Amino acid sequence: MGSGLIIKDFLIFSPVIILTVWGLASLLLDLTILAGQESSARNRSLGLFTLLGLVGSLILCQYLAFDVIGPAPGKDARIFFGTLNGGLLYSQFASLVLLFAILVCCLSMVWSFTTHWGEYYAMLVWSALSMIVLVASEDLLTLFLSLETMTICLYLMTAMEKTKRRSAEAGLKYFVYGSVSSALFLFGLSLVYGQTGSTSIESIGRILSTTEKPGLSGNVAGGVAVLLIMVGFGFKISAVPFHQWAPDAYEGAPAPVAAWLASGSKLASLVAMVKVMGGALGSWAVTTSPTSPGWVGLLALISAATMTYGNFTALSQTNLKRLLAYSSISHAGYMLVGVIAVGISERREEAAAALFFYLVIYGLTTISGFALAAWIDRDRGSENVDDLNGLGRRHPYIGVAVCVLMLSMIGIPPTAGFFGKLYMFMEALNVGGADRVTMIGLVALGLFNSVVSAFYYIRILKAIFLRDSDKGDLRSMGPEIALPLFVGSVLTIFFGFRPATLLEDMEHISMSGLTFAQKADPDKSPNAAAVITPVILPIKPIANQQPAVSTPAQAKPAGN
Amino acid sequence: MSQQIPLTWFLYFAAASFAIGLMGVLMRRNAIGVLMAIEIMLNAANINFIAFWRYGDVPQGEGPLTGVMMALFVITIAAAEVAVGVGLILLCYRRWRVADVDEFDTLSG
Repeated sequence: MGSGLIIKDFLIFSPVIILTVWGLASLLLDLTILAGQESSARNRSLGLFTLLGLVGSLILCQYLAFDVIGPAPGKDARIFFGTLNGGLLYSQFASLVLLFAILVCCLSMVWSFTTHWGEYYAMLVWSALSMIVLVASEDLLTLFLSLETMTICLYLMTAMEKTKRRSAEAGLKYFVYGSVSSALFLFGLSLVYGQTGSTSIESIGRILSTTEKPGLSGNVAGGVAVLLIMVGFGFKISAVPFHQWAPDAYEGAPAPVAAWLASGSKLASLVAMVKVMGGALGSWAVTTSPTSPGWVGLLALISAATMTYGNFTALSQTNLKRLLAYSSISHAGYMLVGVIAVGISERREEAAAALFFYLVIYGLTTISGFALAAWIDRDRGSENVDDLNGLGRRHPYIGVAVCVLMLSMIGIPPTAGFFGKLYMFMEALNVGGADRVTMIGLVALGLFNSVVSAFYYIRILKAIFLRDSDKGDLRSMGPEIALPLFVGSVLTIFFGFRPATLLEDMEHISMSGLTFAQKADPDKSPNAAAVITPVILPIKPIANQQPAVSTPAQAKPAGN
Repeated sequence: MSQQIPLTWFLYFAAASFAIGLMGVLMRRNAIGVLMAIEIMLNAANINFIAFWRYGDVPQGEGPLTGVMMALFVITIAAAEVAVGVGLILLCYRRWRVADVDEFDTLSG
């Protein structure tokens, strides 16, 4: 650990810094130059302004990835005293988040659903940058901070459509569920901190795997911590039973915000979850004794419940946004299978890469799905599946694009969704040992659920291609809707034919950016000389405590 | 100095206030009450952080103030959360004329 700040760190994080300023600038522009203009005019100018910032940061990220960070930055690419990742993991996921943000920004320009455009675009930019920091965070402090910044921005964005009652309600519901779950999450983090004395993900993983008794057996505080942390992440990725907010928030939020909730925030939270569960708490993953199942067993239950509940509830939905919300819940269930595989597989990096592949494709297809919802929301004021009737006959290109998206969500070749499921489930089946049966069961359930999901995705296709419209035609979609819709479907087809390009990229990321605790051999790690300090167990008797005066940290006051 | 308050007292206190906060969230119907209960939960976690920092050893390579820093940032986050929460409650209050979380039930299914 260096003694001072390094200028290069700031250079690497310059896209994030630029985005911070960009958000402030859009607030200022709205109040000064654009003051007094009509809502739709302000929407257009601020949207273009934000788009400029996002595209600029995306280009800067790619430039940094090639020029400053370099192609092979080595295993330890951490910057800012080890609190953030400054390697490929950061630059590539930052580019992905920015790509999603660009598509969402396009969708936001579709129609004027609010009057507070300065605030809206500032929130969009700030939530994007906190997603980037969340993906890059290597420390529980930065992780929690960015997670909260992200969700606080998202609460506000959800409630932005002030003309509609449901938007305010969705915002409040999202807020209540969200802040309770982050309080639970924080309490879990505090227990982990108590057990290890550290907030760095890497050293938590190292300390937990080198204690005399690794694993959760007999460690009540550790069990509670795992449970609480899982509640926190389960909420963020809308896993059953913490999903209640998701359908309401997705339906009440304006379509672009719902797309952002479903793609960007899910991507960032899942990457953070892989880091915390696989990296920091990796040694608590597996079963060590009959009394302590490890978190894999619990996560398997959550995953099974999530995919089954999401799919079966989606069958009866008539609102397109609500249907997509349940579809996103069921996809969270599939992705949890990937998280479990990362936790216990021998090939953890490959398993993580397969999960990331799935995440990217899922994010792209979901944004495109919500682009469709934004279109009918603009022209019809409602977003029922019936509003899509007859679309494919009038607009064959759009029909084909939507068809590709739905096939990808079901997981039918030659779309990328198929390869996402294939890679992830193959990695899950590679797991050996005691949990192999669990994984086989989960994969079987996942395949069964894919079949169930076909029913509601095909209902959308049926409305588009087979039914006649009883209402008038929609207005032409314009570039704002066309771009997200076609970018999603073209990339889905492209990666369907060339899945290796994306998978190799994701493997590079996970090889260079993820540190997994459990497999690290203490004799070979550079910190082998580090003395592992005694772990404080809150369940220990009082007599075991050392007086604070004798601790090495003399910076503390001697107490009073 | 031998009469120091043991760590477990702090942990029991934090766990108790955390439980009180959680019960408040589940049982209070007034949205402002729920907000207060959430604050209690966040502060319980803060007490844990401070207590663990004060009584624990610092592993090698760690800064000496980790737990305190965490608590400081959480206080900031809690303030931001209250601001946003009160804003959202006001937004709902203007439409429903109540601040009761059970009344907001337009969305379901």
